[in-house]
Amino acid sequence: MSVSGSRRHKPASAQRSAGSKLGPRLRAWRDLHLYGLVSSIGRMGQRPWATLLTVSVMALAVALPMGLWLVLQNVEQFSGSVTQSRDISVFLRPQVDGRRAQQLAQDIGQRAQVLSVTLRSPEQGLAELRAMSGLAAALDVLEQNPLPYLLQVSPRDDGDATAAALRDLPEVEIVQHDAQWRRRLDAWLGFGSRVVLVVALLLGAGALLVVGNTVRLDIQSRAEEVSVLRLLGATDGFVRRPFLYLGACYGLGAALLALLVLLLAARALAPPLAGLLASYGSEFVLLGPGAAGLLRFTLGVVFLGWLGAWLATGHHLHRTQV
Amino acid sequence: MAEAPPQPVLRFDGVSKQYPGGQAALRDISFAVAHGEMVFVTGHSGAGKSTLLRLIHLAERPSQGAVLFDEKHLASVRGWRVALHRRQIGVVFQDHRLLTDRSVFDNVALPLLINGSAHGEVGKRVRLVLDKVGLAGRERALPATLSSGEQQRVGIARAVVAQPTLLIADEPTGNLDPQLSAEIMQLFAALPAQGTAVLVASHDLHLIRRMRKRVLVLDHGRLADDISAADLAS
Repeated sequence: MSVSGSRRHKPASAQRSAGSKLGPRLRAWRDLHLYGLVSSIGRMGQRPWATLLTVSVMALAVALPMGLWLVLQNVEQFSGSVTQSRDISVFLRPQVDGRRAQQLAQDIGQRAQVLSVTLRSPEQGLAELRAMSGLAAALDVLEQNPLPYLLQVSPRDDGDATAAALRDLPEVEIVQHDAQWRRRLDAWLGFGSRVVLVVALLLGAGALLVVGNTVRLDIQSRAEEVSVLRLLGATDGFVRRPFLYLGACYGLGAALLALLVLLLAARALAPPLAGLLASYGSEFVLLGPGAAGLLRFTLGVVFLGWLGAWLATGHHLHRTQV
Repeated sequence: MAEAPPQPVLRFDGVSKQYPGGQAALRDISFAVAHGEMVFVTGHSGAGKSTLLRLIHLAERPSQGAVLFDEKHLASVRGWRVALHRRQIGVVFQDHRLLTDRSVFDNVALPLLINGSAHGEVGKRVRLVLDKVGLAGRERALPATLSSGEQQRVGIARAVVAQPTLLIADEPTGNLDPQLSAEIMQLFAALPAQGTAVLVASHDLHLIRRMRKRVLVLDHGRLADDISAADLAS
């Protein structure tokens, strides 16, 4: 009885490599990866609850830093106009009339450190206050406009020296220059970014360990299969591939679940936040991560899952190497 | 003019194997197996049969001496080349070692998937080999639903599907009744005609005598006898 196909002395692999072409080799490579992908999906499907648990833990671990990062982005965006502003508000004394205010604006505008000067009359100021604060009724009862002339000075540098010089002018009552406040806000935002980075690293490491441990348990439960595959001539890459896909699938599931959690959180927070901002007259809209951000986040979490699986399988294969 | 001896597919040259902390499993073993030859390795339990087979597919390394496969020194086969070496050898285990959650087809297809055979080629080869071992139509069955003899046939199909140069079998009939054992041996006996050398470790002397093939007798790790098929027949 014939068991083998045809008479020959060379193994199939040797025959194939002798006359191999790119097309069949690419198809074989594709088949190998399909085998790995299908195997990994099959493994997830065999233990749906364990898979859901792993994906959920990983999703929460990556959702928190992503959420914090989004909050920080929104705070930076919200405070952006304030932090970017270098303007110096110069309030003139009430007795300074329009002509003198105009002349003063021209004088200041000719200084080297000054980029531009905008003069705002008391009437303009009152109109803006009426529009922004919602205090129109209260302002109507005022018998006269209490606001002075205001010079909005845009300096070329940080404005500290200009603000100090303007304070010495006899027509000036108050100079408002928020450089220190802005520096503090910048420092807080920088600190917040660092906190997000540290939290992301810690929770990312946690997610890595979760995937690594899950894959490690999966490999241990399949130690016999791994042993047989190696005896049949499987390379470490072949053995490792389904587990790498498994880790990547965990990552993909976790990324999608994390984005869903963040979306729900944003929807829950948006109405009260909109109300809060509206009371300040702001039309600020919550910023999302954007398409590129979503892609980067998803690929990052997929990579995290892949890396966890790679480390776990590498350790096992090294430990059981013949 | 005398005919040149056939080139051996496998050669042991003064091979000894000592496990750490244990006694010698093999001592100064030398023999050769030609292409397309079928050889039995026999001996009492602990004589070194399994160790000898493990040295061939590099599950173990010799403490002394050289193992050559197709005249290539296996000591130089390291790292990822071990996997390539193993693809040239079919292995049949006493306990089958089938993957229980995979179908018969998937089990037999494994060596072809491992060596990167094309999808169409895999299906064709697997069905052909399953037909040859008498398991046509059982492709979708799980190993647990098969009898012990059928499982061993799946193991043999898996071992030969990639057309190995050498097939090694460690007590392949150890768990089978005499009738099934004879059938399995007939499958092995058909392989040399296809160019595959076969090395079977067995302690079943009755079966070995009936097969009338060359026999290597191991005794406490030493090669006690090398009986040719002709001597056995006479």
